[in-house]
Amino acid sequence: MTTWFGYVGKLLRIDLAREKHTIEELSEDDVKLFLGGIGLAAKIVFNEVDPRIDPFDEDNKLVFMTGPLTGTLVPGASRTVVAAKSPLTLAWGESHFGGFWGPELKRAGYDGVIIEGKAKTPVYIFIHNENVEIRDAEHLWGLFTGDTEEKIRKEVGDEKTRVACIGPAGENLVRYAAILSDERVAGRTGMGAVMGSKNLKAIAVRGTGSIRIKEARQLRRNVARLYPMIMSYPPNQILSAYGTNGEMLSFYEYGDTPIKNFTMGTWEGIKRIEGKAIVSKYLKSHKACFACPVGCWKIVRIDEGKYAGTEGRAPEYETAGALGAMLLNDDPETLIYLEKLCNDYGIDTISAGVTLAWAMEIYERGLITKEDTGGIEIKWGDPETIVKLIEMIGRREGFGNVLAEGTRLASNIIGKGTEKYAMHVKGLEVPMHDPRAFKGMGLQYATSNRGACHLQGTFFRIEQGERIPDLKIYRRVYRFELKDKGWMVAVVEDWHEVLESLGLCKFVQIYPGHVAGFYSLTTGIVKRVGDLQKDGERIFNLKRVFNVIAGVSRKDDILPERFLKEPLKDGGAKGQIVELEPMLKEYYSYRKWNENGIPTEEKLEELGILDMVKQRCSQLGVKLYQ
Amino acid sequence: MGEEALFSEEDLKDEIIRVMKVLYNRGLVSALGGNVSARIPGSSEIWITPSGVFKGDLHPEDLIKIDLEGNVIEGYLRPSVEWPMHTIIYKKRPDVNAVIHAHNPITTGLALAGVELKPITVEAVLTLRRVPIVPFAYPGTDELAKVVAEHIEGVRALVLQNHGVVAVGYNLVEAEAVVETLEEVALTQLTAFIASGGKEPPVIPEKDRELASRLYGLK
Repeated sequence: MTTWFGYVGKLLRIDLAREKHTIEELSEDDVKLFLGGIGLAAKIVFNEVDPRIDPFDEDNKLVFMTGPLTGTLVPGASRTVVAAKSPLTLAWGESHFGGFWGPELKRAGYDGVIIEGKAKTPVYIFIHNENVEIRDAEHLWGLFTGDTEEKIRKEVGDEKTRVACIGPAGENLVRYAAILSDERVAGRTGMGAVMGSKNLKAIAVRGTGSIRIKEARQLRRNVARLYPMIMSYPPNQILSAYGTNGEMLSFYEYGDTPIKNFTMGTWEGIKRIEGKAIVSKYLKSHKACFACPVGCWKIVRIDEGKYAGTEGRAPEYETAGALGAMLLNDDPETLIYLEKLCNDYGIDTISAGVTLAWAMEIYERGLITKEDTGGIEIKWGDPETIVKLIEMIGRREGFGNVLAEGTRLASNIIGKGTEKYAMHVKGLEVPMHDPRAFKGMGLQYATSNRGACHLQGTFFRIEQGERIPDLKIYRRVYRFELKDKGWMVAVVEDWHEVLESLGLCKFVQIYPGHVAGFYSLTTGIVKRVGDLQKDGERIFNLKRVFNVIAGVSRKDDILPERFLKEPLKDGGAKGQIVELEPMLKEYYSYRKWNENGIPTEEKLEELGILDMVKQRCSQLGVKLYQ
Repeated sequence: MGEEALFSEEDLKDEIIRVMKVLYNRGLVSALGGNVSARIPGSSEIWITPSGVFKGDLHPEDLIKIDLEGNVIEGYLRPSVEWPMHTIIYKKRPDVNAVIHAHNPITTGLALAGVELKPITVEAVLTLRRVPIVPFAYPGTDELAKVVAEHIEGVRALVLQNHGVVAVGYNLVEAEAVVETLEEVALTQLTAFIASGGKEPPVIPEKDRELASRLYGLK
């Protein structure tokens, strides 16, 4: 039997239909190829979920996975990933969250949990070390996420229990429903809706074990001496002081923060909703995820006025963008309330905001009227309407039922050319970095496996002038230039697969060379940056193959027309469009994908997954290359 | 007996750590700045100090062995970002077995003020010889490596504009001596400048530095 370090060495598989669970040994071969976290989740979903099924079919599986560094003292090692076929993109789905749940799961004795089947009635799972119970959750169904967590903690009688749960949005199969734990959100691609479709309200975890570290003393010493460097990184200082929204003014200067559904380049309201302004006025306390020296988690409180008593996580940059600037909503108190409301319901704020922006634009253009919206006038910048619509989305009421489908499906339902204003890639709403301001981000959005994803590379950092010598990105590239963006985006995407596989937060910023050392010292498995990078590439390509079988091809590696044809009239990205084709061409060539965007046999062979892919295609009766 | 047998790699690593400690205590490398490497005798591999960790408390197990292309062979920290500069020097100068990049504040400060080091002491003449000032290139880039490569022929030290100094030697002690001498000469020259109210300092007479001048192009 393998003695594991970093990894716990066990996976918990729970069949909700049969109300049974089994414990599986972690495979050494899988770890060598797929590392952990999102890599291991990708391998499981690829081999066990038919990419062509309805995401709400009970054969879809929901995989929660930690990384080998999750729960260790490595800075930012708090992360858990969730993967399944996405109801929003109808292809590969994944989301990630920090907080404390993942470390607790490992202390309970598991690297991950695989959820199968559908419970007959609402249930929650309680994992307490080796004891695994499927408990009735009828009384929790309909509750907000925070209330759910609190109630479960009381019920199991242990305040230290960590709970990952869904709110009403997940129960109601809102296609961009989130999973929350301690206010940390796995927001994107509707993993909360998959959880809801399985009648699973929550997974509560309590563990009292520990994680074995191969070279604990050396790891501790290396980590301790890394802190001066981590805290010298300028964005970390901003995040530490004001949270992620502390960067809004800087992004705005670049013309990066989207305004009015990506149609305006300047807006006075930005000053009222950026992080420093909000935190300076409403800050109550600072919090940090497990093992995080940065602490971008700010707690704010409103003491007076309409939303008096509202207390919770300060609006993240993405929330302030999506529910603020995108909608011309410059009221900070509504924003604080909306962050709380979306967290209560369990709704991804990005998809919600972008979907509302679409609704506002098509209403303004007269493509929908009060008749379509159930009598609601949907005007730009009207806080009350935004709040009302979010609640309707969470409950799938009235016009909220259409909006709950996300921009792509909702615009298909409405038709009348409204698709043109739906800002998504592969069904996932575009996050708050305008690719006309950072063109490599455009390529990242177009090629990320889960759709328009800002976290598959945070390439805007490279375009702000950051070099990553460890990944051979030596040259400073400018944001508007196209040369070299193709291969650089691919390299950075692959590296981010590594971070999601090891359980590290992308905001803490540890250089790849150090990450490789931390992995080696923690697990005793020596991997260099090049080895990890190859693992990342393998994982990225495996997800791509999943997507190809789900029907994704080059036609889907695109951006909304607005980015390709409509330059902004003012602001930091004035006059720019995204010239996607040349970047995409270089990208495909670097990736060794064929003209349809399918990884070539040569590439899959090089990555050591050709046999696995062939076997799976044969099981499914599909041909990868037509 | 060959050199390979005289110095084990462990000795070499201990020596790098010793040099870093001395330089740190003298304020020539700082918490996050400065790096040291040494060539493993008879090989194309070097041991180098790590990047991005606090430099005041390094241990032999913190060092990283890399080849001259920058591939990590041993060690668990990230090699100094200046590895391209170190390896290009080893490639270009087979006579060099040790490279030190330090942040000598006074030497760097004088260079920023546009003041060249003068032959004010015998050490300045014999130990330092000619010290070119290299234009700024961003730390850790291959641009910096290239510009260093252009100037490193025939010299023992360079001043990197807005950055620090690079010193080389047959072994670590030699490179260490060059770094320390640079700062000593710079401090002496600065003291003379201040104390004299900005006058040109008297230098070692030309006849006494004729040999060095002819050999090394010293002005």
